[in-house]
Amino acid sequence: MKETVIEVNNLVKEYMITKKESGLRGSLKSLLFPKKTIVNGVDGISFSIGKGEIVGYIGPNGAGKSTTIKMLTGILHPTSGSIKVCGISPQADRKSVVRKLGVVFGQRTQLYWDLRLGESFELLRRIYQIDMTAYEETLAILRDVLKLDEFMDTPVRQLSLGQRMRGDLAAAMLHAPSVLFLDEPTIGLDADAKHAIRNFIKEINRTRGVTVILTTHDLDDVEQLCNRLVVVNHGKIVEDGPIDTIIHKLAPYRLLVVELKQPCEDLVHPAATIIKQDGLKIWYQFEKKRIFAAELISDLSQKLPIQDLSVKEPDIEDAIREVYKTTSAV
Amino acid sequence: MLQAYWYITKMRMLTNLAYRFEVFTSVGTNLIIMLASVFLWQTAYGGGIGNVQSLSLQDLTTYTILSIILSSMFVCDVQNTIYYKIREGQIVTDFYRPIPLLACYLADDIGGSLSSLANKALPLIVFASLFFGIPWPSFLLNFLLFIPSCLLSYGILWLLSALVGLIAFWVMELGNMGMVKDSIVRVLSGSIVPLWFFPESVQTVSKFLPFQYTYQTPLGIYIGNIGTKEALTALAVQAVWVILLFLLLAAGWKRTKKKTLIQGG
Ligand SMILES: Nc1ncnc2c1ncn2[C@@H]1O[C@H](COP(=O)(O)OP(=O)(O)OP(=O)(O)O)[C@@H](O)[C@H]1O
Ligand SMILES: [Mg+2]
Repeated sequence: MKETVIEVNNLVKEYMITKKESGLRGSLKSLLFPKKTIVNGVDGISFSIGKGEIVGYIGPNGAGKSTTIKMLTGILHPTSGSIKVCGISPQADRKSVVRKLGVVFGQRTQLYWDLRLGESFELLRRIYQIDMTAYEETLAILRDVLKLDEFMDTPVRQLSLGQRMRGDLAAAMLHAPSVLFLDEPTIGLDADAKHAIRNFIKEINRTRGVTVILTTHDLDDVEQLCNRLVVVNHGKIVEDGPIDTIIHKLAPYRLLVVELKQPCEDLVHPAATIIKQDGLKIWYQFEKKRIFAAELISDLSQKLPIQDLSVKEPDIEDAIREVYKTTSAV
Repeated sequence: MLQAYWYITKMRMLTNLAYRFEVFTSVGTNLIIMLASVFLWQTAYGGGIGNVQSLSLQDLTTYTILSIILSSMFVCDVQNTIYYKIREGQIVTDFYRPIPLLACYLADDIGGSLSSLANKALPLIVFASLFFGIPWPSFLLNFLLFIPSCLLSYGILWLLSALVGLIAFWVMELGNMGMVKDSIVRVLSGSIVPLWFFPESVQTVSKFLPFQYTYQTPLGIYIGNIGTKEALTALAVQAVWVILLFLLLAAGWKRTKKKTLIQGG
């Protein structure tokens, strides 16, 4: 068993929300007699993460991903439950925990708006009290991997989104943290920039053994980076495991797409369901367990004039769609 | 750690010194207010209200000029910094650094004050001297007491600002309470009209509030309206306020951290 880096037990975060009523009278009323309701941002989450893992923490909008990350990084205090990061509670001893963490919130920057990128780094060096040789060594690597050289002397407010994000990733890694939290690090980036960032994450995981927890809506990120997925919805964990297992469990079916030569009447097959039909093109969904593709194809070709066909494996996207579908109905 | 604060201060100074236009507008508006206030006093004295509490027109002119110069130097942006950072959710990035964030904001404001000394206070002094003559202190000793008094004033003002900033952690709906506080300070600190002109009752109450110790105390010392012995007492009162407000801020901050409202994902 690998060393545990993050241990979360029954974590709950309640948000108090004041309902605002519309209109002048309404807003006056809610100012004087606020109506409070409680929303569970995170509702009883437990998991543990071992050293060197890259975990994808995913779920639909409002699932509670950012809230979890904020609690893990000591920014928010949980309503109940316990958190241990590197053996320490971030709420009890924020300063020692954050020294070991690198954090990037994709929509925000920790760089200093008025300073040049390099000056922001220098300030971080002083804040974390990183000694000069270690700093220069790390910076040299980061400059190289993230290609920072062209804009080291540009004021942060003049950086493009992709440049800023690379700057932010470097800033999060300067003090050589052992855990990296990334909340939507690829949001709004073009293919090239995404590629660079994914490479960077793989690289620091491989060379420095950094544990990475990553939230994203880009399933390519997950597919290319993560060995493990934790799926949340409505503040609860709905799946936790290796990607392949989750896909297999959630989307055990495959798809057979058939194109006919001419229209036919009898299209049905007992082991497959038709999920879509568009002119002469028909989509059959079937479970691996019930029937093999070869069988289905031979059955169908006996009664249908098939012109063309293809078999599709479910991908991560199908699996995720399945999760979102089943749990949002609750 | 100190290195980090110094770097923040230095960078704020350099950044502010680079913004030329903001300096022109600030010096310009302050100059207009200065001229208007001084002319107002001149008219009032010309109308024959006579010397109030042995304050001559020259004393009041000096008082007014210095008050405006001080206000351009006392940079206490912490209340706005906190308010906007919370409103936009940007405050999270300050929370995951191993450094106390209020201290960083102080370092930043000190940088702002130092740069204002160079690019706002100095031009204002030059212009004021051209229009009304150099605003000399009454005695050298007064000037020597004026300096520490100003530092303590800044301490009081900054702590008040930080305390108001904390409110934003608890209730966003109230909007920026800083403006309300600023108006109260402007009137009760004697920065526009010295409290000596106010009714007795206001003066009595105000003795027990921190506000008059921010402007009236150092300025009164400068123009010699507060004698040397009284001045030393005043400095002590200022120091007590700094300590009280600091303790209040420390206690408030400890409770606030747990409450932190973070806006947005
Ligand atoms: N400051 C806040 N005050 C009140 N409710 C909040 C606050 N922040 C988040 N919430 C609520 O908590 C829930 C979880 O929000 P969270 O930001 O963690 O979602 P998320 O999984 O990060 O979503 P997204 O994918 O959209 O970023 C949402 O229902 C949200 O409305
Ligand atoms: Mg989020």
